[in-house]
Amino acid sequence: MNGGGVLLLRAARAGSRRALGALPERRLAAVGSLRRLLRTGPPCRAYAKELFLGKIEKKEVFPYPEVSLDELKDMQQFVVPVEKFFNEEVDSKKIDHDGVIPEEILTRLKQLGLFGMLIPEEYGGLGLSHIMYARLGEILSQDGAIAVTLAAHQAIGLKGILLAGTEEQKAKYLPKLATGEYIAAFCLTEATSGSDAASIQTRATLSEDKKFYILNGSKIWITNGSLASIFTVFAKTELFDSDGFKRDKITAFIVERNFGGITNGKPENKLGIRGSDTCEVRFENTKVPIENVIGEVGDGFKIAMNVLNSGRFTMGSLVAGMLKKLIGMTAEYACTRKQFNRPLSEFGLIEEKFALLARKTYVMESMAYLTAGMMDSPGVPDCSMEAAMVKVFSSEASWICVSEALQIVGGLGYMKDYPYERYLRDSRILQIFEGTNEVLRMYIALTGLQHAGKVLTKTLDDLRKGNVGNAMEHLSKKLRESVRRKVDLGLTGKDGIVHPNVEESAKRLEENVYYFGKTVEVLLKRFGKTILEEQMTMKRMADIMINMYAMTAVLSRSSRSIRIGLRNYDHEVLLTNIFCTEAYFQNLYNMAQLEKCK
Amino acid sequence: MWKASGCHWLLTKADSSMNCIRRTILTLDHSVGCHFFSRAASGHSLWQPERRCLLQSFSQSLRSFHSSTARQTSDSEPLPMVKPPGMPTKTLEPYEDFFEQASGGKRDKSGFSKAVKTFAQRDIRKRGHVDFIYLALRKMPEYGVEHDLAIYNLLLDIFPKEVFVPRNVLQQIFNHYPRQQECGVKVLDQMENFGVLPNKETEFLLLQIFGRKSHPMRKYLRLMYWLPRFKNINPFPLPRPLPKDPVDLARHGLERIAADLSARITVYQMPEPEDLGVDPPQPHIVGIQSPDQQAALAQHNPARPVFVEGPFPLWLRDQCLYYHVLRADLLPPEEREDKEIGPERNFYYPMQLDLDLDRGPWDDYEFDIDEVEEGPVFAMCMAGAHDQATLAKWIQGLQITNPALAHIPVVFRLGAIGGELQLAEHQEHQGQQNEQQGEQVSPKEVEEPSLVQIQRQAQN
Repeated sequence: MNGGGVLLLRAARAGSRRALGALPERRLAAVGSLRRLLRTGPPCRAYAKELFLGKIEKKEVFPYPEVSLDELKDMQQFVVPVEKFFNEEVDSKKIDHDGVIPEEILTRLKQLGLFGMLIPEEYGGLGLSHIMYARLGEILSQDGAIAVTLAAHQAIGLKGILLAGTEEQKAKYLPKLATGEYIAAFCLTEATSGSDAASIQTRATLSEDKKFYILNGSKIWITNGSLASIFTVFAKTELFDSDGFKRDKITAFIVERNFGGITNGKPENKLGIRGSDTCEVRFENTKVPIENVIGEVGDGFKIAMNVLNSGRFTMGSLVAGMLKKLIGMTAEYACTRKQFNRPLSEFGLIEEKFALLARKTYVMESMAYLTAGMMDSPGVPDCSMEAAMVKVFSSEASWICVSEALQIVGGLGYMKDYPYERYLRDSRILQIFEGTNEVLRMYIALTGLQHAGKVLTKTLDDLRKGNVGNAMEHLSKKLRESVRRKVDLGLTGKDGIVHPNVEESAKRLEENVYYFGKTVEVLLKRFGKTILEEQMTMKRMADIMINMYAMTAVLSRSSRSIRIGLRNYDHEVLLTNIFCTEAYFQNLYNMAQLEKCK
Repeated sequence: MWKASGCHWLLTKADSSMNCIRRTILTLDHSVGCHFFSRAASGHSLWQPERRCLLQSFSQSLRSFHSSTARQTSDSEPLPMVKPPGMPTKTLEPYEDFFEQASGGKRDKSGFSKAVKTFAQRDIRKRGHVDFIYLALRKMPEYGVEHDLAIYNLLLDIFPKEVFVPRNVLQQIFNHYPRQQECGVKVLDQMENFGVLPNKETEFLLLQIFGRKSHPMRKYLRLMYWLPRFKNINPFPLPRPLPKDPVDLARHGLERIAADLSARITVYQMPEPEDLGVDPPQPHIVGIQSPDQQAALAQHNPARPVFVEGPFPLWLRDQCLYYHVLRADLLPPEEREDKEIGPERNFYYPMQLDLDLDRGPWDDYEFDIDEVEEGPVFAMCMAGAHDQATLAKWIQGLQITNPALAHIPVVFRLGAIGGELQLAEHQEHQGQQNEQQGEQVSPKEVEEPSLVQIQRQAQN
């Protein structure tokens, strides 16, 4: 991380200057971010998958990812103007009421460089690291509509070009996308097709001169649908497979609005994030040059999956930012409002609500930055599972927390004059978009099961082969496990990496992980690959996984805080211990339910 | 002998209550949901709900002991689903004429209750009341009051009160006034068979007449234990009474065989009232089709014909309806589409696990069912006439909602209406009749296409 850190730091510094309106300094500073995007380096094992085997890959999550002081300073420098802008210029109430983000706000956002946060320096973007991006997200989330607009633009809209585009495509489109001259949109969903790729109806047919694809079809619920001038469109194309049979395969295209034939439906009337622009986009004989195919023809499915998987981790910090603001607002109210000559904050039930808000916020923040740190680490980290866990946890926590915050202010919260109801409405979408929590739970469980299943089949195969040595080894391992009273996965104790203050919680995590591994093994042996059909079982597995990952994140973070003596680290210890206890018992309950499946 | 039979009775109470359940299921709703019944009455002939109740055989042996008038007929048995046609009445019942007169010729509830009341007031000693009650029970379906609780209570009310209540232990042990008790049980039996739930008044009457430890009272308690539990057991309830209108009746029948809430019923042709005297008469045509069937028909390969088959019988309680199906043959295996879900199907999570492990046999929750694969059924209809002209109208009507049908050849494979299923015990009788009349009942199973015609309807 250190080597990359310096480079990152430079990139960030350069980025911040840009953002402040200084001359863009075109240095070869973005090597770090470039390397990240090119994904070179040795592959590394992901943490979450190993949990399915009952193992903790300590190296991946301990110590908690850090940014150097300089980097921090840069970050601060960068964050302050954005924060100032959001606090002073953005009128969320008006945006929500009018259902549109005013033009001058969009212009200011572009000036701040917020449309190019993820685009590398060399293409004129800020080239931020994931951690920096997450940090900025905390501020952006003060207005749901703006956050969604920006996320649709860069987290998914232009991600296809970034991940799989050719040099020419990047050079052609990214600079303009980075400045916000072009806004991007991601067109996947159709009236008949949500997560089912086969039911996509939009079709691209090759023209006779083989220079164009003719695109026909309609996509619904497209964020930035009417703002955007660049669309990443997924459409079916006819392809001859190796046997010479015709097959429909999905291909991704970069479609410019001025290719012609693109029309928009009327803006959708939504429950929340009303300021964001959502509408239907129709393509009618749109001519797309073949140079605008992203990746290979027929690669669309993989591109869509990668784009969707990579865009999720930010939700943790977005929600954390929003919740922190809410905690501030409600705390002010609870401390000033008096009943029976006591401020509300002295009542136990209100205190409990604040504890919940603080705990959830702390946890999701820890998860988000841990994941961002993992993604920033060199190599090819596949953090899609972690990102999905962050998304599920934060979206569900946000719904609960916003509702509790609204409860603290009581009747006030229900009034349109106050922002609480808007936050509540805005936060509802989080559980739905970027993959509903249900499908993400399936993703979490299945990815882990696939990994665990491979390892398990290998051991079983070894046993079946009748190698006496293998069998003996297996047996003795079983024996040792049955004799050993306490679970010890090496988090605590003499060489432990967790601080003794949170040792109790670490032990709980270890116990959960160990028994989860056992449960998974039993379930896999029982159901084999047909576990795919046991969705309710998998949901519980995913819930346990999310809790365990959250526990890891807070343990890692609070251990670090204690060691470097951060201010108020005692609070962090408290939050960690409360959360781990809560999660531990939830996990036990879920595992008991899984035992019932046995 | 008394004692022995008593023990027998006690020992086999459980069996008789099982019998009770079975009959309850059979009679709560006479309508025949085929699968429902095949489950409920396995091992017994469906058309013979009356298995001799133990009590009955017991009392029959008593009767011979008492040498009372032998009434070993089955005519007080519950009415079977099919009324045997032309059953010769046996010996004239003693109160037949009286009943006719007292009812004033009205064959309805008022006539019936009038007759019963007249009998109750006629004689303070209620002479011959057992015989009268048996007669009345038999007459109930005729007067259409077999489902009327008030009438049953009225019948029970005929019994003299407090006369048959045992007064000491000995009487209680031995069967006190067996013939009267048996009669009381018979009344309750018929209630059970027609699915009539007794009420508090019934209980009160039985208490007054026979006392708490009597057989009718036990029967009552048993009824009150089981009948409420089975009251709503039929998953396909039918209105009571059944509608008279053939179109409504067809609706009920079609809804039942379709067993699909999304299926839509279409009336293709309303029946002409008879007095209009339309020539040829216009029979009703009611069809049903679900969206799934519609989709399946749209995807049907036009090179393969579809068949109109029928008529098949369907029983709704005591009504027999006939329906026709539009179906196709099973596709040969080589033409079946591969419905497997490929790896690149779901954007969000994998739909397949790449593992060698399979589900353990102990986790196979599926029952071992031998499924006969059948061709798809695309639509069903009920019509007032079973000829090809009528059914062709149905097909024409279907073409409006299923344009694909216009390109598919339709083959009519119509059989004759087969003989209705008969009660086993009446079959002998029927057979004799048939021999006399020289008729032959063609069994339904022989599916000789009487009319086979291939219609290319694309052109009309």
